Amino acid sequence: MLGKLIKYELKATGRTFLPLYAALLVFAAVTKLTYLLSDSGDNIPAVISLILYIIILTGMFVMTFVVMIQRFYKNLLSDEGYLMFTLPVETWKHITSKLLVSVIWNIGSIAAAILSIVILSIDDIISGEMKTELSIDIAGSTTALALFELILACIAGMVFGILIIYASIAWGHLSKRHRIMASIGAFLALATFSQIMFFCFTVMPVAKALQERGDILYIGLDRSLTIYHWFMWILIAFLVILSALFFAITNYVLNRELNLE
Amino acid sequence: MPWELKPDRPIYAQLVEHIVQMILSGVYPPGSKLPSVRDLAKEASVNPNTMQRALAMLEEDGLIITHRTSGRSITEDSEMIRKTRTRIARDQVSEFLEKMQKLGFEKEEILSIITEMIKEVRG
Amino acid sequence: MNPILECNGLTKTFGPKKALSDINLKIGQGQIVGLLGPNGSGKTTLIKIATALLTPSSGEIQISGMKPGLGTKKIVSYLPEKNYLNDWMRVRDIIGMFKDFYEDFNPEKACDMLKRLNISADDRLKTLSKGTKEKVQLILVMSREAKLYLLDEPIGGVDPAARDYILETIIGNYNPEATVLISTHLIYDVEKILDHVIFINEGRLVLSSSVDEIREQGKSVDGLFREVFRC
Repeated sequence: MLGKLIKYELKATGRTFLPLYAALLVFAAVTKLTYLLSDSGDNIPAVISLILYIIILTGMFVMTFVVMIQRFYKNLLSDEGYLMFTLPVETWKHITSKLLVSVIWNIGSIAAAILSIVILSIDDIISGEMKTELSIDIAGSTTALALFELILACIAGMVFGILIIYASIAWGHLSKRHRIMASIGAFLALATFSQIMFFCFTVMPVAKALQERGDILYIGLDRSLTIYHWFMWILIAFLVILSALFFAITNYVLNRELNLE
Repeated sequence: MPWELKPDRPIYAQLVEHIVQMILSGVYPPGSKLPSVRDLAKEASVNPNTMQRALAMLEEDGLIITHRTSGRSITEDSEMIRKTRTRIARDQVSEFLEKMQKLGFEKEEILSIITEMIKEVRG
Repeated sequence: MNPILECNGLTKTFGPKKALSDINLKIGQGQIVGLLGPNGSGKTTLIKIATALLTPSSGEIQISGMKPGLGTKKIVSYLPEKNYLNDWMRVRDIIGMFKDFYEDFNPEKACDMLKRLNISADDRLKTLSKGTKEKVQLILVMSREAKLYLLDEPIGGVDPAARDYILETIIGNYNPEATVLISTHLIYDVEKILDHVIFINEGRLVLSSSVDEIREQGKSVDGLFREVFRC
């Protein structure tokens, strides 16, 4: 059933994102072409195309955010919820399908943005100017691990960011009347809570560890990498734990306190 | 024959009467097949449960026979149909007689009115 | 026989307002039941608690011995009084969706009924008229072989011809082992097809009786309703 939910979620959202990605890449290409083809004097078409590209790029990220909220709120907690919540599917599967598809489009948007930048700088890449920057010691295993940790932390951050919003909307749903205001209030509360927790359990221990060593200024590259690894894993663990908490809140409300009016 | 159902009497009883009427008037001749419960219910726009109940009562009376494989049909026993016909006539007449008695008519009076009226109709 | 639907002390409040108060009720299998009451009497609230869209404030409701949840959703086919169709889907998508999620859904039956209404599988749900959307929802709901059908105001707000179509569809697809609960305030139109009626007013149960019992007293359901709810 989870697979089927994901299928319909992808269908419902794909019709927004795929054209956006296509438009972004097309305008990146058009910008590049008009830029390459025009003489140095007259660049107006390239400028217009670039402006459109930037608008689409911004729009794409705004849409990624808006669709994330809208799919959760409209599909589950408005009239469409009458269909979704009468399907014989566990509530956690609804949340999971929305979450996974949201993460997919988050990554998709970032990938589309990177790809469009590659298109815009294709000649530089070919001529090799960027090569030096891109190829810094990727072979080194520590760097690869550091990169892996960074990507993992980014994904955990995305999941955290999506679930904090789901939990806020769910919490707001408990309010009898002003559900949107209550959701915003819940978001502020959960965000403040997360920040305090972040400070207490992530920043403080790392800072303390550093302080105890007392030799921050003298540590070498190896040492600072060790600290980096530590920090990343604590951060990831922190994000995972809070995400689980927000998931549980959302699931509890939609399961036990659902009131579609 | 349209299914006219009055709102203040049980529907199954009205369905029984209606189907009997259809049998007597030859809409469903002896031995003919009856439509399915669902189709009959749809035709009368009533609940299939109610139609089922009406048919069960007719079956009890022996007017309808249920075959294990091929649905229901009207009995071929024309004696049975004739009896039912007489019974209904008697019911109607006794109801009529009751009313006339309430109005204070004597038996002979009633009979003479009826004879007179039948003559008029023939004429 | 085990009741298909049973309420024990069922109460639902919205803020200070009591939408349902202390409803005790049993509905048996294999009948068509009318849930009758004026607008705002709690009909929709009762149905939405049975479909798990609302959480009761106190008391409980059981469907085939289960509290509303995953198990009951498999055997309950629900027609809300709202349009729940997504904008982005075509008719074929929503049929596919029902087929994907409900094991008891019969897609051939649904396609057949849609064809008779000249609705094409390629039609976008967004472009259908309000009345057609309602019919599509009814067809989806009646194409399931459920144990309990909960139909919330299926004939409210449609013209008499559509009303006939809807009632015919309900009768024509009704399986005598299932129970159909129809909520409505238009009693005259449905009373011919009802086995049993439940009257509710201001969230309270007023009457639960078989239709034959009412008629054997020489009353019509419509007449009794007018008597009970005289203003």
